[in-house]
Amino acid sequence: MLWLQILVYISIGIFAILILAKVIKYSTMPLHLRWELYPVPHEKFKAEYGGSYYEEPEWWKKPRETSLAGELKEMLLEMIFIKRVFEYKRRLWYLTFPFHMGIYLMLIWFALLFLNAITSIAGFGVGDQLIVAIGGLGITLLSFGCVGLLLKRISDKSLRSYSTSVDYFNLLFILAVTVTGILAWTSDPNFTAAKASMMSLVTFSALPDLSPSQTIHMTLLSLLVAYIPTTKMTHFVAKYFTYHKILWEDTPNIVGSPLREKIKEVLSYKVSWSAPHIRQGITWAEEAMEIEPVMEVRAKLAEERKGK
Amino acid sequence: MDYYKFNFISPEDFSVIDKQLVKVRSEDLLPLHSEEPEFTDSDPEWKEDYATELDGFIAIDEPWKPKSKEEEEALVSRFIEGLKKLLDKENNWTFLQPLKLSIKNCMKCNLCSEACAIYQSCKKEIYRPTYRAEVLRRIIKRYIKPGVFGKLSSDIELNARTVMRLAELAYRCTICRRCTQTCPIGIDNGLITREIRKLFSQELGIAPKALHKQGTISHLLDGSSVGLSPVGFRSFIKEIEKDIEQLTGKRYRLPVDVKGVDILLVHSILDYIYYPETIASFAIILEKAGYEWTLSSKIPVLDAVNYGMWYDDVQLARIALKHVEAGKDLDVNRIVVGESGHGHTTLMAAADRFFTDEYDVPRESYIPLLWEIVRKREIKIDMDASDFPVTLHDPCHISRYVGIVKPQRNILREICPQFREMHPNGVYNYCCGGGSGFAIMNSMNFPEWRNKIASRIKIRQITEAFDTDLNPGIRKYVCAPCSNCKKTINEALSYHGLRRKYRIRCGGIAELVVNAMVDVESKILRSYV
Repeated sequence: MLWLQILVYISIGIFAILILAKVIKYSTMPLHLRWELYPVPHEKFKAEYGGSYYEEPEWWKKPRETSLAGELKEMLLEMIFIKRVFEYKRRLWYLTFPFHMGIYLMLIWFALLFLNAITSIAGFGVGDQLIVAIGGLGITLLSFGCVGLLLKRISDKSLRSYSTSVDYFNLLFILAVTVTGILAWTSDPNFTAAKASMMSLVTFSALPDLSPSQTIHMTLLSLLVAYIPTTKMTHFVAKYFTYHKILWEDTPNIVGSPLREKIKEVLSYKVSWSAPHIRQGITWAEEAMEIEPVMEVRAKLAEERKGK
Repeated sequence: MDYYKFNFISPEDFSVIDKQLVKVRSEDLLPLHSEEPEFTDSDPEWKEDYATELDGFIAIDEPWKPKSKEEEEALVSRFIEGLKKLLDKENNWTFLQPLKLSIKNCMKCNLCSEACAIYQSCKKEIYRPTYRAEVLRRIIKRYIKPGVFGKLSSDIELNARTVMRLAELAYRCTICRRCTQTCPIGIDNGLITREIRKLFSQELGIAPKALHKQGTISHLLDGSSVGLSPVGFRSFIKEIEKDIEQLTGKRYRLPVDVKGVDILLVHSILDYIYYPETIASFAIILEKAGYEWTLSSKIPVLDAVNYGMWYDDVQLARIALKHVEAGKDLDVNRIVVGESGHGHTTLMAAADRFFTDEYDVPRESYIPLLWEIVRKREIKIDMDASDFPVTLHDPCHISRYVGIVKPQRNILREICPQFREMHPNGVYNYCCGGGSGFAIMNSMNFPEWRNKIASRIKIRQITEAFDTDLNPGIRKYVCAPCSNCKKTINEALSYHGLRRKYRIRCGGIAELVVNAMVDVESKILRSYV
């Protein structure tokens, strides 16, 4: 099964490289205009009701008090409990929460398998019982959530209409992995093969003999891991940027701020929009001071009125 | 029948159905205790020049409809050019990152629809926040960045009908961003709306007249968004000074272009025209509290608005820089934004990223300043002077966009014994219906759409807040500290017959403060109620 072992390594490699590329792509995008949205959870003493430092008169003379704990709390509530879906669409939450919780448990399961392999090499394997409990619960929740979300997307007209073939393909792909996972698990309730496979992967030794269901499952899982970074299933990456870099980004542009250099850079970009009130080929800094095209629009309007 | 009869319209139908896509009827509307008139029939001639293909309402009141096959093709190709620029780093650095993240990561759970005041008012599919975003997303996938699965992900055909409908649909959202608050991933469908508007304005020069030709163009050249010039502005100032003298028996000055003072105060021009009591109140409060301040008569600073905020980044930058430049020229310590909601977002948040070292003048909201004046008793207050039911509307651009929530409540709790909240409120408020320019877009049948649909939930909130005091013998006050919100709410109250029926009036917060001042002879507020 050398091919399967190589596939696993390649998939993990592709996943890591593509996710890294995505992070680099978003983090190197140009500075954008301030576009925060309240409540901003790092506002110390004010986040609870959605307030900001702008509530203080002459705010620039006062120290800015932020709270990392507030941000972490909000982030974790959203990541782990999917708080907004719970608040605004409870019926969907009954499906999406087990789905995501299933994913988190499976990630913990992989971490436990890894830990088990490392400790086994050191002569004392740990976590056997936890592996069984977390793996079983994780795959059950994940499968339930996946089937539920798929059925919901098909049966709910308002969701179906916005779903494309790729949306269904993604859910079906995950479902295929979970179904084969359950088949593999039922033939190996203590995850013996999973632990042995992890040991092989960690020690770069040959994989153990796997049953057909285990082979298919591992193949599909590897392909899914490589596929995920090419899809919007990487919204866990996007979420970091949408929240931390946009909706919660409220750094004021004051004297001495490192923002000033970035602003200078973006203002040096060239404008090539074609509307009559915009002059093409000049920089944003020049465009913002340019009033002539606006006067030309006005002159044209006057001519049109005269013509009528 | 000249309109499509089914309510359910999928994104692919958007380009295919050749009839008017949607017709909103009275029975579709959220029930309301209202005396609103029935929907009017639109003028059949409008469809010759304007895009009536969406829902029969017209926001873009420029005659821009293509007349021939060639013109249709040209429209589509210009749209594609604009779309490419929208996704280009140099042309759209202003919102590239938020736009790309929102285009690529929506899981299409439609959670945002639960928060949308417009969708909830009539449940029309095309008004869902996801709908216009999905149309744009599918166009990008098919025509700009197809990728491996592009064709599989998109079945939308880009034709002139699609382009015209999309332009109109970008003006069926107030960009209140309540939808964004609900999204677990942080997808910003409000931003997508603004980006579509921007594409049409910055590439094709197409935008509602009130925003563009009579809006920012007039603002930059004449002085204000309603065409009022510095000369006209000064005569308004004199009139208001006379008014105050008549009402209070004392002369208060409205200083203009005074150099070296503490505060440059900028008001929306709508306040000068429709709510001069707000302007007068600021003058009285600041003089009584002993502040050194000034107004500016400079073009375009005499008007605090910046309609670029709603549809065009270039115009946004031009106006914002001139506002701050005036503060620098007058050598003030700070610029204080008066009762203009989006004026807050523009000067304090969004345009903050346009300012380099030459534009170092701090900007702040008038609300914390006003609270400080009341809190420190820099003016003498009669806490029972405004003893009538008062509720507070939170302008989106003051609460959700810049996070000012508590000071205005502190003021009202201090001076209005019968203050009560409407629900939801604060950063979770509903838009008044006039957001993103709707307050000042009054062409053809657009006000009907605004009053019936966009303002519907706000009107319901207001009547619920006063439900124990609806008796017309009791005067009631909706405090909306933003000129656009005041105008929208007053118009909607009149349209629904509630201003007369229940004696509800909407005004600002500064006049409530003056009403409570013990040493101001005649009550400004009373004279206008």
